[in-house]
Amino acid sequence: MMRKILAVAFKELYVTFRDRNLVLLMFATPLVLSTIIGMAFGGSGDSEVPDFADIAVAVVNLDEGADLQEMINLPDQLPNPDTFPIDAAALFPPLPDGVALNFGDQLAAILLSQPVEGAGTGAIGGFDPTEIGCSLLDESESGGAAAAPLGSLDDLLDATAMDSADQARAAVDSGEFAAAVIIPPGFSSQVAPQFAFDDDFIIRAQAPGEGGIVEVYASSGRPISARIVHSIVVGMVNQFVRVGVAFGATLETSANALAGGIARGEIELGAVDLSALSADLQELDATALEPLGCLITPGANNISAAQRPLEAIQEGHPFARVIVPAGAAQAVFFALFTGVFGIQSIYQERRNWTLQRMIVSPTPRIFLLAGKLLGNLVIVFLQILILLAALTLVASLVIGQPTLVWGGNIAAVLVVTLALSLCATGLGVFLVGLAKTPEQVNLFGPMVNISLAVLGGTFGFALPEQAARFSLIYWGVDAFTQLANAQTDFTLNLIVLFGQGVLLFLVGAWLFKRRLDL
Amino acid sequence: MQTMVETRNLRKTYSRPDGSTIEAVKGVNLEIQQGEIFSLLGPNGAGKTTTISMISGLVEPTEGDATIGGFSITKQSMEAKRLMGFVPQEIALYPELSARQNLAFFGRMYGMGGKALRRRVDELLEFVDLADRQNDRIDTFSGGMKRRVNIAAGLLNSPPLVYMDEPTVGIDPQNRRRVLDTVKLLRDEHNMTVLYTTHLMEEAQELSDRVAIMDHGEIIAMGTQDELTQQVGEEDRLEFTIGAQEIAEAVFERIQGETPGVTRILFNPPEQLDEDSSVFAPALLTVFAKRGRTALPQILQELDSAGVEIQSVAVREPDLEAVFLALTGRALRD
Ligand SMILES: Nc1ncnc2c1ncn2[C@@H]1O[C@H](COP(=O)(O)OP(=O)(O)O)[C@@H](O)[C@H]1O
Ligand SMILES: [Mg+2]
Repeated sequence: MMRKILAVAFKELYVTFRDRNLVLLMFATPLVLSTIIGMAFGGSGDSEVPDFADIAVAVVNLDEGADLQEMINLPDQLPNPDTFPIDAAALFPPLPDGVALNFGDQLAAILLSQPVEGAGTGAIGGFDPTEIGCSLLDESESGGAAAAPLGSLDDLLDATAMDSADQARAAVDSGEFAAAVIIPPGFSSQVAPQFAFDDDFIIRAQAPGEGGIVEVYASSGRPISARIVHSIVVGMVNQFVRVGVAFGATLETSANALAGGIARGEIELGAVDLSALSADLQELDATALEPLGCLITPGANNISAAQRPLEAIQEGHPFARVIVPAGAAQAVFFALFTGVFGIQSIYQERRNWTLQRMIVSPTPRIFLLAGKLLGNLVIVFLQILILLAALTLVASLVIGQPTLVWGGNIAAVLVVTLALSLCATGLGVFLVGLAKTPEQVNLFGPMVNISLAVLGGTFGFALPEQAARFSLIYWGVDAFTQLANAQTDFTLNLIVLFGQGVLLFLVGAWLFKRRLDL
Repeated sequence: MQTMVETRNLRKTYSRPDGSTIEAVKGVNLEIQQGEIFSLLGPNGAGKTTTISMISGLVEPTEGDATIGGFSITKQSMEAKRLMGFVPQEIALYPELSARQNLAFFGRMYGMGGKALRRRVDELLEFVDLADRQNDRIDTFSGGMKRRVNIAAGLLNSPPLVYMDEPTVGIDPQNRRRVLDTVKLLRDEHNMTVLYTTHLMEEAQELSDRVAIMDHGEIIAMGTQDELTQQVGEEDRLEFTIGAQEIAEAVFERIQGETPGVTRILFNPPEQLDEDSSVFAPALLTVFAKRGRTALPQILQELDSAGVEIQSVAVREPDLEAVFLALTGRALRD
């Protein structure tokens, strides 16, 4: 029986590749497109100096910082098991006035490619983030050449500091900048957790306030540049938020342990060496801040942390960083069309009665569909691979040396491509099964494909991730981006893609059975 | 003799997109014996293709069933399908593949492969006389050559039974001759059973052991050609083609009343052949008469005195056309 499926699949391939126009449409168009992408991003293709860099960005930092005192929100009184009240201030060593964390300064410094100062403005014990090392750095390599950034933000952005948000926006409008990054006054307070004691004197993190959202004011005339800036900023802000949460969690636990101990009388206050305790506490904070240390260590080549946005920024050539998501999205987008219109050929087979000839042979209809699926799956597979190869070539030319932009794990690239091909072809079977006429496929096929592309961020604007997850393009691009960053955490992506493909095929086949009554 | 195909009350109702329904086949009962050429004769739209589609497992009957060599086409379709070959009305071939590739592909659909398939393809290419063009793409073939490959593709599995749905449509007389000879060869030398559909009386007449005449989804007559023609009696048929002209009913009455042997008169007014052309089939006056040649002079005289302009006259012995006319009152026109 498998032989019949293979016969149909092979015939499908053969017929497709005999049709020159179809081959041209399927392979040449994406190739031309990827070359255009390459030229647009890579300048003249001169391998010496990729003039891809230098997206003009204005950086406005209005961050007022977060006061540590306020962050911790000490109550006036701590619960007192005995009679004597404890002055809260006596419990914790008083922080020097004006000690504040300013994450905005750091973000601005990174964007401006300036040396990064510590987040704290005053030196307080172990709390100076500039002294925090990055344990994720491979020590053996950190001193050597590998520590040098493969590509720093400097290659990518031509950032200018500005003082006023309005001024910056006006400059973007006038075309001077592709985008303005405006760090709001409340950025640090947003990132840094706020604490308060509840009625039981348990310390709790507070929901962050509003008003701390970093704005990327983009020029509509330069959507691609603006998108790059946007994705960089989003990546970095996420990083700060991650640090803030980790920091908050540690602080919360340790402070609660301390307060709880005192409250239950397990810790006798007189015996507590407060200064040592607070030093301990601050050690913990330092651990929490480690990821931040990675973020601000130039060239940190951390490969193991699950911090994709960070890696995307710090690894690889800037051109590769852009061509991976953009190219993968384009590849899948094209694959969707091949999938739908490849399966649609069943209508043509019905019109010229070759379908009927197959049906009157002793071959179950599901085998005919499976053969069609398989044949088109191979076509889509080849199409995506050719596109990936073409993009690799373009990227290598732009970068000036052979670069595997999709990462070195060829087997994994093939598996992801296969999953995507199955999904795209399964979608084809589903759509063709759902439609009543070929005209409906012509109408709905592109509509569905374009919707998926919009959801998946193919056209240069990203939708919220919750929405993007509905698109197989999201899952595919995500997996390819991970591969490009030498990550392999895409099991879920594979499950989603394979599962969706099989499901769509089965539902499509069921719908089809009803339509195959000729 | 063994029964090869048997249908019981086959019925097919199609629903149209506008919600209306059409009864394409209204309860057909057939019995086709092993080794015979059985023709389904009927005008376009009679339901021939729909009938063939149901008994080949292509279309599910709305009602009824058919057995092929004893296997139900609805319940044991794989077994039934192994016994049949199918030559559809359309050229069901991949234009971008060669003749050989087409045959090899459809052979694989019958589970054939390897040397056996290669040998069978060679045999069939020889049979339809296209061995020298076997590696050329189908879209470079003439209509007649395509028809021949189309037939070969229906014989790949060396079936004991083959359906041929109007296999001569759109080909030149030379190729038509070839196809008809091929069909006879299948029966005479390969001992095959053939179900042949056509709207051409001459083809059914030349080929058939038995004929079923179909009209509006129903079998209106069935039997050997002799049995069928006996239904219209021993009458000859006198056909007069007439220009666009009104003829008074009285003229017909007079002919019928006063000419010895005349039993019946039918008049088919001029018919537009093509919807958007001005080509008309001429009006056709048919007179059924015993001893037609004797009656002819008197009828001609009557028509002449009534001022009817006669374009041609033909005297036909009893044939299938006469049966169709007698049963439907219409001519079996192309
Ligand atoms: N798939 C279909 N849907 C609706 N009507 C159909 C379909 N197939 C055939 N018909 C109608 O059924 C009738 C019989 O058609 P068909 O079997 O093709 O006749 P024939 O082969 O004798 O010319 C025609 O009126 C035709 O329009
Ligand atoms: Mg027909």
